[in-house]
Amino acid sequence: MLTFLALTSVALLGIVPEQSQAIAIYTGWERHALVGSDIRLSCSFFSWRWTSEDVTFSWTYRPDGSRDSISIFHYTGGAAYVDNKGPFRDRLEFVGNPGRRDGSILLKNLELNDNGTFTCDAKNPPDIVGRPSSVRLLVFEKVPIQAGVITGAIIGVVLGLLVLIVVIYYLMRFLVARRVFSLSVSKHGKKKKEGSQQRQIKV
Amino acid sequence: MLMLAAIVVLHITTIILLLVAAIDNAWWVDDLVSADLWGRWDLSNNVWHYTNLKGYPEDYLQAVQATSVLACVFSILALFVFVAQLFTLPKGMRFTFTGILQIIACLCIMTGASIYTAKLHVNGTSGGYGHCYILAWISFVLTFILALTYFILRKKKE
Repeated sequence: MLTFLALTSVALLGIVPEQSQAIAIYTGWERHALVGSDIRLSCSFFSWRWTSEDVTFSWTYRPDGSRDSISIFHYTGGAAYVDNKGPFRDRLEFVGNPGRRDGSILLKNLELNDNGTFTCDAKNPPDIVGRPSSVRLLVFEKVPIQAGVITGAIIGVVLGLLVLIVVIYYLMRFLVARRVFSLSVSKHGKKKKEGSQQRQIKV
Repeated sequence: MLMLAAIVVLHITTIILLLVAAIDNAWWVDDLVSADLWGRWDLSNNVWHYTNLKGYPEDYLQAVQATSVLACVFSILALFVFVAQLFTLPKGMRFTFTGILQIIACLCIMTGASIYTAKLHVNGTSGGYGHCYILAWISFVLTFILALTYFILRKKKE
């Protein structure tokens, strides 16, 4: 047991110095939105170093079916620079907090042409080695029904009702047997007997 | 004794038919296509390829999926309840709980097959109804007969 613990701690110590030089960037995997709505694309990173003053965020956009990407956002030296010439001019807003390692952007008034892949690249000097992360944006005319949602809902509701009815049935039987309830429909004879007993006691 | 065995065999057969109808993708069949409820098999160059269903009215398709699954579930539950009631039911009583579960299974598969007939493949695309569709209607008849049997049958008074 002790040797196992010693080995794992040595292994972890071996791995950690590797990771302390790499920055890990997190965005979503896929985002769905309706035409005309706004969407917030989040981007954050993990780094072993303190957040530097020279932290940079940059977003690039690659439309679906195209092989070229275009840069649409850059944050550096404490100032955010949004797209003012490209497909997102006047529709892009920086809503992140670089001090909290958040480089999220807000896309307003989405169009069908905005389908594509958005890549976020963050750098936290001196921690600059890392892989940019991509999020895929899907814009719909109307929200499609996801596969299996209605199926699951119907099955769940029906089986739930069945369980509920069985539980209530057995609960009622249990309570009637314990004389907590007295059903006037059944046990007609029993009530009569109880009545006659009461009369005897009175006398 | 023989009657009991016959009813159990018929019930198990019905469950198997329901399971095949619900699981196998053969409600709509063509020379090169075998589709529904979960996916589509296309034959090209003597190799079968499986793809997702596209262009179907999603809500009706999912309703048929749900009802066929529920029919299987209720029919299997009815079998277990029948076996339990064989041992616990007082003599001379009817197997009502089993009958109720079986009639619900019958209603479910009837609803599913009806929705399928009315709302899917109504535009005359090539192909015809496959063996799963036929099995669904056969199991409707069998579940109905079994439900009636359970409602009428009484446990033997010794």
